[in-house]
Amino acid sequence: MRVAYENRFAELEPLLPRVEKPSRYIDHEWGTLSSSEARYRACLIYPDVYEVGLPNQGIAILYAALNAQEGISCERGYVPWVDMADLMREAGVPLLSLEGAAPVASFDVVGIHIPHEMAATNVLETLDLAGISLLSSERGEDDPLIIAGGPSVYNPEPLAPFIDAFLIGEGEEHIVELCREHERLRDAGASRDEILRRLADIPGTYVPSLYEVRFDEPCTAHGFARPRAGSHAPETIYKRIVADFGATDPVAQSIVPFAQLVHDRLSIEVLRGCARGCRFCQAGMTYRPVRERTSDQIVSAVIAGLEKTGYDEVSLTSLSTTDHSCCREILGRLNARLGDTGTRISIPSQRLDSFGIDMAASVAGEKKGGLTFAPEAGSQRLRDVINKNVTEEDLERATRAGFEAGWRRVKLYFMMGLPQETDEDIVAIAELADRTYELAREVVPPAQRGGISVSVSCSVFIPKASTPFQWCGQLDDAEVKRRQQLLLHSVRNRAVRVHYHDADTSLIEAVLSRGGRDVADIVLGAWKRGARFDAWTEQFSLDAWEQAACAAGLELRSIAQQPYDLVQRLPWEHISTGASRGFFEREYRRALNAQTTADCTRTSCTGCGICPTLGVDNVLVGDRR
Amino acid sequence: MSETSATALFRLRCAFVKRGRLAYLGHLEVLHTIERIVRRAGLPFAVTQGFSPHMRAAFSSALPVGTSSEAEYFDLFMTEYIEPERALARLRACAPEDLAPYAVCYLDVRAPALTAAITRVSYRIDLFFRSDAPIDASAIRRALEGLVTDGTIAYVRGKKDKVLDVARLLVSASVEQTGADCCTLLLDTRISNEGSLRPEILVAALDRALEDGPVREGPIVSTGIQDLSAFKRYSVCRTAQYAEDADGSLLSPLRTDETPAAPKSVSSVPSL
Repeated sequence: MRVAYENRFAELEPLLPRVEKPSRYIDHEWGTLSSSEARYRACLIYPDVYEVGLPNQGIAILYAALNAQEGISCERGYVPWVDMADLMREAGVPLLSLEGAAPVASFDVVGIHIPHEMAATNVLETLDLAGISLLSSERGEDDPLIIAGGPSVYNPEPLAPFIDAFLIGEGEEHIVELCREHERLRDAGASRDEILRRLADIPGTYVPSLYEVRFDEPCTAHGFARPRAGSHAPETIYKRIVADFGATDPVAQSIVPFAQLVHDRLSIEVLRGCARGCRFCQAGMTYRPVRERTSDQIVSAVIAGLEKTGYDEVSLTSLSTTDHSCCREILGRLNARLGDTGTRISIPSQRLDSFGIDMAASVAGEKKGGLTFAPEAGSQRLRDVINKNVTEEDLERATRAGFEAGWRRVKLYFMMGLPQETDEDIVAIAELADRTYELAREVVPPAQRGGISVSVSCSVFIPKASTPFQWCGQLDDAEVKRRQQLLLHSVRNRAVRVHYHDADTSLIEAVLSRGGRDVADIVLGAWKRGARFDAWTEQFSLDAWEQAACAAGLELRSIAQQPYDLVQRLPWEHISTGASRGFFEREYRRALNAQTTADCTRTSCTGCGICPTLGVDNVLVGDRR
Repeated sequence: MSETSATALFRLRCAFVKRGRLAYLGHLEVLHTIERIVRRAGLPFAVTQGFSPHMRAAFSSALPVGTSSEAEYFDLFMTEYIEPERALARLRACAPEDLAPYAVCYLDVRAPALTAAITRVSYRIDLFFRSDAPIDASAIRRALEGLVTDGTIAYVRGKKDKVLDVARLLVSASVEQTGADCCTLLLDTRISNEGSLRPEILVAALDRALEDGPVREGPIVSTGIQDLSAFKRYSVCRTAQYAEDADGSLLSPLRTDETPAAPKSVSSVPSL
């Protein structure tokens, strides 16, 4: 018998005074949409704490889409922080949904968002707290269907044994189709196996149990996935794309939290996709094609969304908001409408040119926080390798304009360990930071120079599936540490602060990005050894992962660092963004020759293959400059 | 929602509750939520001038996480006059039930701030005994008398040693048996810039006074829920807040020009 759907808040309440931030668990926020009566119940879970998960736009979109369906009620869940999780286990309280405070195991479907690789152990923490078998193969007829989707399912193999079905690509139409079909099959009395077989027929659905890992073709040490004999599951699962992005509701958010979050604001998705073609960037591939909303739609969505939620800040979100062809017009109209209401407008990440600064200045008002730029690589040669199409002059113009407009703090993002990187490229990062600092000293009036702050943040390059760098290995972690020291010692100005990412965390991220289904054993082993909330520096422990890998007979460093050969079939090649292998190979070769490739929204088609394969097109509402 | 000018400002005072699950909100979370309620209600709030413009609103003193209230207040400065009934209706329509506004009034823009005006606070504390603890209302009354005689309670807040001045801050208290394993404690306390009576410190001190057996080591620590031995659990509710007029009569913050019928608190501790 399935666990009963019933409100069990009374069991949770005595624990509330004993945990930090009880408001994570109390629900009753403004704007929830679920209903107490429903024929079919879904619970969407973000695998991290409430304040990290609540602002997620993907969940907001799916939550609205499911609750708009007659007879379906969708609730939310988050992972209790370690203090609460331990108390719940001690008190025998299972993971509860937020709205109905009902056991997660009582729902028909549980959807887990996969925001990044480091969420892997929290997926298991979620299932275990909910009292659901960790392995898909051990779940019974009464267990909920466990589905997963999100930005980080383009190599689903390390999570494959834990998930019944992955939804690849844009989910707003897909999840509704899947839930409706599941409901129909459930009502018809279909068995769990039968249900899984039928769900695999829905485009974009990957049911791992219908696939086996094989080695009978040139492939990596992790093998490759093929449909099992007799299964009619598709050989390649293509990502889903919403038929008409412009027709979707731009105000996806409805819930206004009590707690103060990191991103505590209204988000309006102004465009989807980015065609700049940075070769390390997975989002640049997975969210193509580029689709813009019209200015009218955006402006009215912002006004309506602010009225509905009461937020005092709105973020115009996308992968590259200042690339919107009507960016200037939109910001101008919003400033005119919101001028005297104490409402802030924010645009994530500044484009690296004077237009980007212009736009940032137009929404910053008197209070200028910091400017963030991402040159990604220090030298022009390496920026050409990764196809980051900005020049030294772009950066100088942008920072100069920023300092002149009144900004004093600049943060520069770089990556370390990019393919073809040499010590000169590391020194070039330091030089770029030094020049930026000296430029600031030159531009900023003497009396204000005390406020100048230039910082460098250097992450470690992680080769990702479905990118032109998917064949590359990660730089050896000992070598990463050496280059980090080289960077530290190359910066001349002591005022320039250097931050770099932890090489150990990056190692695990690479293992989870590049590995195959065999890596799932490591994930399970690490979780059993206490790994959870790995994305939180203070919670992460490499030891648990080392021991788990050792027990599984695998070597973390070889999984992360072994380059793949172009002729090998890759562990994730059954999952497709629609971009062709030929395109990735061509881009990879061009990278090795430091040849750049243009942005197809500004020039002509660059042949990635997504538009013809998926039957879609870029949709621009004006001319891009 | 136009710019704040010195000439046309209206000051709306609003009373609201904090109860149910929302008792677990922290002070900043309440502030934030009220601000969003005001924005959703579309009231013509004034905006501060300067570097970082924000809504002009002011609140009564912070309520600890887990403490509920029947009488919280905020003042909202507005640029237009809205009929009080309409303003209240709009706020109520945009507020969660457990944080619902229930009364509003206008007052002089130059009147003292809530935190300055309010000098008396009443609490109701429901205490639930452990089944094996031989406690009743009279035992609690005796313990309370002892605390009042001692005059002060030492406790630790953060890294600081603090003293709760019971003699000065407690105006009166009453204890009533409300069930076999529970009783209710009503407190009338003073609040000012110099301090206030934190109910959970008093509860922790009572718990120690009631304990038979060896005296517990270490100071009382003021962090959320107390680790208690005589009491199974307790809940605290702020039941009222008052201003005082020149002769010491209690006034509702909503009606500072009138005297309420009678102060509610009844002293049952003879030494008070």
